[in-house]
Amino acid sequence: MTPLEVSVRFEHVQKSYDGEVLVVKDLNLQIAKGEFLTMLGPSGSGKTTCLMMLAGFETATHGEIYIGDRSINRVPPHRRNIGMVFQNYALFPHMTVAENLAYPLKVKKMNKSDIETKVNQALDMVQLQPFKSRRPGMLSGGQQQRVAVARALVFDPDIVLMDEPLGALDKQLREQMQFEIKHIHENLGVTVIYVTHDQSEALTMSNRIAVFNEGVIQQLSPPADLYEKPDNAFVAQFIGENNKLHGLVQSVSNDTCQVRLDDGSVVNAARINVTQTGEKSTLSLRPERVEVNPTDNQYPNIFEGRVQELIYLGDHIRTRVSLCGHDDFVVKFPNSARHASLQTGDKARFGWSAEDCRALDG
Amino acid sequence: MFKLPPYATPGDRIWDIVYKLICASVYLFLIAPILVIIPLSFNSQPYFTFTPEMLMLNPEAFSFRWYIDLFENEQWARAIRNSFVIGIFSTLLATTLGTIAALGLSKSNMPGRTAVMLVLLSPMIVPVIITAAGMYFFFTSIGLGQTFLGLILAHTVLGTPFVVITVTATLSGFDRSLMRASANMGASPTGTFFNVVVPLIAPGVISGALFAFITSFDEVVVVLFLSGASQRTVPRQMWAGIREQISPTILAVATLLILVSVLLLIVLELIRRRNERMRGIRS
Amino acid sequence: MVAPSDNPAIVVDEDGMSLKERLRNAERTDRIKTFGLVIPLLAFILVTFVFPILLMTYRSIDNPIAVRAIPKTLQTLEDWTSASLPGEETYRILGEELLASRESGDLGKLATRLNYDVPGSRSAITRVARAMRSGPSEGESYSDLFLEVDKRWGKPEIWAGLKSLDSPLTKSYYLASLDLTTDLDGDIVFKPDEERIYVALLYKTLWVSLLVTVFCILLAYPIAYQMATLPSGKANLLLILVLLPFWTSLLVRTTSWIVLLQSNGVLNDILVAFGIFDDDGRVQMIYNMTGTIVAMTHILLPFMVLPLYSVMKTIPGNYLRAAISMGAAPSRAWIDVYFPLTVPGVGAGSVLVFILCIGYYITPALVGGRSGQLISSSIAYHMQTSLNWGLAAALGTILLVCVLALYWIYNRFAGIDNLKMG
Repeated sequence: MTPLEVSVRFEHVQKSYDGEVLVVKDLNLQIAKGEFLTMLGPSGSGKTTCLMMLAGFETATHGEIYIGDRSINRVPPHRRNIGMVFQNYALFPHMTVAENLAYPLKVKKMNKSDIETKVNQALDMVQLQPFKSRRPGMLSGGQQQRVAVARALVFDPDIVLMDEPLGALDKQLREQMQFEIKHIHENLGVTVIYVTHDQSEALTMSNRIAVFNEGVIQQLSPPADLYEKPDNAFVAQFIGENNKLHGLVQSVSNDTCQVRLDDGSVVNAARINVTQTGEKSTLSLRPERVEVNPTDNQYPNIFEGRVQELIYLGDHIRTRVSLCGHDDFVVKFPNSARHASLQTGDKARFGWSAEDCRALDG
Repeated sequence: MFKLPPYATPGDRIWDIVYKLICASVYLFLIAPILVIIPLSFNSQPYFTFTPEMLMLNPEAFSFRWYIDLFENEQWARAIRNSFVIGIFSTLLATTLGTIAALGLSKSNMPGRTAVMLVLLSPMIVPVIITAAGMYFFFTSIGLGQTFLGLILAHTVLGTPFVVITVTATLSGFDRSLMRASANMGASPTGTFFNVVVPLIAPGVISGALFAFITSFDEVVVVLFLSGASQRTVPRQMWAGIREQISPTILAVATLLILVSVLLLIVLELIRRRNERMRGIRS
Repeated sequence: MVAPSDNPAIVVDEDGMSLKERLRNAERTDRIKTFGLVIPLLAFILVTFVFPILLMTYRSIDNPIAVRAIPKTLQTLEDWTSASLPGEETYRILGEELLASRESGDLGKLATRLNYDVPGSRSAITRVARAMRSGPSEGESYSDLFLEVDKRWGKPEIWAGLKSLDSPLTKSYYLASLDLTTDLDGDIVFKPDEERIYVALLYKTLWVSLLVTVFCILLAYPIAYQMATLPSGKANLLLILVLLPFWTSLLVRTTSWIVLLQSNGVLNDILVAFGIFDDDGRVQMIYNMTGTIVAMTHILLPFMVLPLYSVMKTIPGNYLRAAISMGAAPSRAWIDVYFPLTVPGVGAGSVLVFILCIGYYITPALVGGRSGQLISSSIAYHMQTSLNWGLAAALGTILLVCVLALYWIYNRFAGIDNLKMG
């Protein structure tokens, strides 16, 4: 993806709180104007720190952050014109909803009638007009969340940062809010940088996802690529369910390689980031890409396994199989008549293509 | 917020320094009176201020004479004994009554909770001079004036609010399901109480007891009104000492009392840590 | 077994009790059990604390002595007005009753009591009683005897004083507490200027408490804020600097302030050593109002710091960040967002400090000198020295009412449950 206009740029940014451990290591990242970029990663991976450095509440130990062409290292946070939605919303408890929304306009010394128009627009956008004179404490979690979003947008910031904004909501409300935020983003065209540890949230909403681990971006791609083509073992493991098979690289050709697993079986796999024979590799294989009892020669990889456990999940069935020396090999297959006969303890054959099985770093 | 961010203006920097200076002077105000008194208690001269020799750190300017004086003085010895007798008994009484009441107060079905709480905590709020006046009339009329029992009862009254507060605070963070779990596993109510409740509220009870003890140990108004010559306590003796201000022996006493409060603070901190650890495991 | 019932929705068992009733009974039993836990302490506090204080309050209106000792005199004085002196008959009755009360032992109490309202009348009473042993000599009237013993018996004041004792309950202690008195006609009037003490003292007490409260806010706010914003390790270290004085004996801290502030004390020595004052220009900073205010501020400061700190700790840093991200400069954000949220803490701390200050006795008594005494000192004085217990009780009751009113406000402000120590 080649962005037309760069909104935010991190250049060699490092951050350490104690002078010893780097929580962010040499971060380089460009975010296009109008993009919805999600920083995804486990807690402590450095994603929130990046957001805070961009907002100005943390100072980078090293490196520069640009908004447009301008380095903002020396710009105080209140002059950065960045909207922010905080984890627990940070709605001011002593102000009403309308006062909360008016606050950023008031500090910008906008005149009263303009403020009122803007606040009303914002209230309409999140459908909270009837609640304008209530205090945040009297609103439900979802309503508070909407106020927080509206407040971050009401002063037309260039960029909006969202730090796990849906973490406090229950599942159903969270899914609804994901769509609302996505629609608001599409309508306003503002740049959104969104931090979460919830992969389905990231996959649903983003243009691009940056997967963080240990202060480093592990992969930066659109959602589909992230799931289909993980670059390394961490990403494969973190995004979606994933079977990991450990082994040593036996042979390497252009796009494929062969990996000998610990129990001796040899698997054909797509070559992603293995370079030479003899090195360690982890094979990543999505459970739904495995076929039960395939026809002979349908796949280059066909192995026999024993069904350990069957879990009925309505639209599909999850099976735990012992296969190739692994006891926790998971296979998902659709709930159709063809597979219904599988029983715990049965022996069956399992096959998959080389492209779906990605040979990653050990 | 140790280091200012790179965008801080000169004004920000100056304000930061001024603010830190303000804070430092408040801490100095808080702690200086306590620090000053310690070296003065080693003065070899009968003065309440630093002699030039002391400032030059001349070893002869320092002595233990006021400490020796303190321990050789029969009046002080008796005052210390009295303080401990009254303190220990009133603490035991206050802790027992306060803990039982706190167990009731922390239950959700306690009738008239706020009103009861207001009454139970009122000894902490009513000025001691009024408490002392009231008790003087009452205790004298029932023959408890100038007796140890009278003082112990009076100090128990003053100590119970602290026990009630600390124990209810401990119980409020207390997971009721633990008691149900214990009952569920077949423990009798008494067994549950001693094996589950007691260890969990112990920190609250102990710190409440410490509060009650120090309240009694430091109390002088009630003692002024209720005690006779044979019930003089340490604070009462100090009161007389300050009024007469003849001998720096009271500085030696003061230093020892500071030592007591430091010890107390350490014990409380240890209890707090233990408590936090225990809760940490639970959550 | 379920018995048939008119209303099928109500389940009734063999005892004829509905399920609801049984539940209610069970709940009531539980509640009584819970209350039982509180009873020992509640009873103890009621008996040894609340009751004695009520007793003391009663003493401020209790006025039994005249009604007991000179009932007939009071009866004859009923129709008397201060325009003239009472008749001979009244002198006789009073003389006889005083003689009788001398025997029963009430005389001293009566004399002391009258002396509170009519200063100097004690001796007039006791002398008459003594003279009544032999009675008036031949041809001498009772009024002659009275006047011979003490001139005051020829003036209406003493009679008006006696007459005003005609009820077993009195308001005269409260009048005295408010610098009021009754004139000869029984009307309430102000005392002469030079005798007015207590209203001014009450004002001074309130004023000093207010000053101490304000100083406590000013000193506590910055350090509480600093502790609340520092990482907990450092904050705990600083907290020790607050808790150590808090836990140190009151008398130790008072002693320290004497040592620091007296005219040849440490602070004056330092100021002289630095040449700020001459040796004979030493400042008297203790045994006066300054001493009271400084020492009280020091002693009560932790009571302000601790509630403020606990309120500030609960304010998430994100509020300030949110305001700043919306374009407010940090100082503006602080004033708009942070400060309003600390107001409840300031309120709770202030009421607490004010309550404690208004009734403080020890520190003003030791470091206040003449000018730094508060209302509590007067109570102690009348309890221990003048032995005018009725007045002590009235002053105490007034103080108590002030404190309880504030206590009530505090409860509304902060909730009594939130009262925490350390």
